[in-house]
Amino acid sequence: MSEPVFVMKKNELEAGKVRKFDLCGNAIAVYNLNGTFYATQDNCTHATASLSEGDIVDDECIACPVHDGTFHIPTGQPMSFPCEHAIRTYKVIDQGDAVMVDFDQEADEAADAI
Amino acid sequence: MCTANDGSPVRLKRRPIAESVANLDRLMDLDKGRMSRDLFWDRDIYEQELERIFARCWLFVGHESQIPKAGDYVSTYMGEDNVLIVRQKDGSIKGFLNTCPHRGNKVCFADLGNARQFVCNYHGWAFGIDGGLKGMHASEAYEETGMDKAEHGLHPVAHIDSYRGLIFATLDPQAPTLAEYLGDMRHYLDAIFDMDEGGTEFVGGCVKSVIQCNWKYASENFVGDILHAGWTHDSGAKAMVGGSVAEVHKFPDQSYQVNFNGHGWEFNQDIVGNCATLGEKDLLKYLYVLQPKVAERHDDFRSRMIGAISSCTLFPNTSFLPGQNTFRTWHPRGPGQIELHTWTFVNKNAPQEIKDKWRKGTMMTFSPSGVFEMDDGENWEYSTRSNAGYVTRQQDLYLGLGQNSKLDTDLPGNVYRGQINEANQRAFYQRWLDLMKSESWKKVPQRDIPKMKEAL
Ligand code: FES
Ligand code: FES
Ligand SMILES: [Fe+2]
Repeated sequence: MSEPVFVMKKNELEAGKVRKFDLCGNAIAVYNLNGTFYATQDNCTHATASLSEGDIVDDECIACPVHDGTFHIPTGQPMSFPCEHAIRTYKVIDQGDAVMVDFDQEADEAADAI
Repeated sequence: MCTANDGSPVRLKRRPIAESVANLDRLMDLDKGRMSRDLFWDRDIYEQELERIFARCWLFVGHESQIPKAGDYVSTYMGEDNVLIVRQKDGSIKGFLNTCPHRGNKVCFADLGNARQFVCNYHGWAFGIDGGLKGMHASEAYEETGMDKAEHGLHPVAHIDSYRGLIFATLDPQAPTLAEYLGDMRHYLDAIFDMDEGGTEFVGGCVKSVIQCNWKYASENFVGDILHAGWTHDSGAKAMVGGSVAEVHKFPDQSYQVNFNGHGWEFNQDIVGNCATLGEKDLLKYLYVLQPKVAERHDDFRSRMIGAISSCTLFPNTSFLPGQNTFRTWHPRGPGQIELHTWTFVNKNAPQEIKDKWRKGTMMTFSPSGVFEMDDGENWEYSTRSNAGYVTRQQDLYLGLGQNSKLDTDLPGNVYRGQINEANQRAFYQRWLDLMKSESWKKVPQRDIPKMKEAL
């Protein structure tokens, strides 16, 4: 198991918002869903698009800024046309006021879903 | 307040100016009150109108109240060009042709709504609310073979701006500013669209209908034709209020026609005459209470216009009726047809019951089944259709009422004595002729000298 990587302080991202980070060669989107933090790959699986430029909709989905297809943030599952393939999730490790990401593990919800 | 939004690069392409219909001057002799019927049936003249009137003038495209939030949009027409008018994240407004730059499909099929993006149905090109191309289906294929997304956004209108909540756009990069285009008409527009500090809003949706008439019959009617009301609308008036239309021709000293740059307004000073035809006493009370405040805000003269017997056309094809509160655009659909879009406007600060009564009032009078709309539509349809006759169409028409009635006054615009007049109609057609004869905006003669300052 690799070391979790520090992403940001929790108070740097408001609830209901998403932000892009480039860390260890990965472009990731980090989400704050009502105080719980999630991380996924930033690229849409449908075509070229950065999911962090989209809006969070229906409380826990990300709407792609290009074709408005949606993914379920905690599990990465595609939810609506034209998205067909899940996005990769990353486990967020809660350490006090810091958001840490483990690039070797899926989010627990995604692991459960498989 | 004007909020110009001219930031976007203009890259609308145009054909070199087409050869003009020959001898346009023969179409009218306005000093003698004569004009040709060719304006109402000739297809070549119509095509030239699309180029020199509709692809050139500032046209009404929406009311700010229709698109309050970022991503709110309306789909409307500039001539026969379908455009999307979209509120941006920074509060400004942009406009685009509603056509995909890939293979030309329409990108938005709704009349209005809120969008995060506009995605074309055909091959999945996706455009941001700023018009930029954000991405495509199968983007990898484009990336492999090379394509610069920045070059393929939606085509923006040339300029977009608003005055007192009314949004206008032009497809001609060389157009004068909206303030110059409206000119002195702004003085009178303030009486209605700046009646109090809240301004106006549109309530309810857009009511659409098709009338088989030339667009200019509708525009010239609202620009200055109160003459028809006492005759055409007599039965409607009796049904609505139990009496005839006021005999305005008997009081020429208490009524006016005003025009500027082809826009025109005919009105008297009776405060509530138009409003009275809706048969709602509470509306009259509302206007009577407001009138002294409008006198303070603007002046006594304009305060007596707030619901008076009156009508106005903003050149070329947008009209409204104070007091009856219908606002409308006559979209051209060939020389013999229009698509009429109408809304009800009210003062934002008016009580809800008052707004509801105005909405009901416009439905009773100026909707497709309204008592006044039906009277007008039939007249305009037969005025248009009679020109199918080959010999009929060679005969001139008369437009000479009210020669030598111009007043010498400090009021802005060209002011004429008596609202029963055809001075505004003549000014409307003079402007039409000036635009039709000119190859570019620079060549359009500036006949009217503004008394108002350019910027407010
Ligand atoms: S690129 Fe994300 S849905 Fe198409
Ligand atoms: S026509 Fe719009 S994507 Fe092809
Ligand atoms: Fe009428």
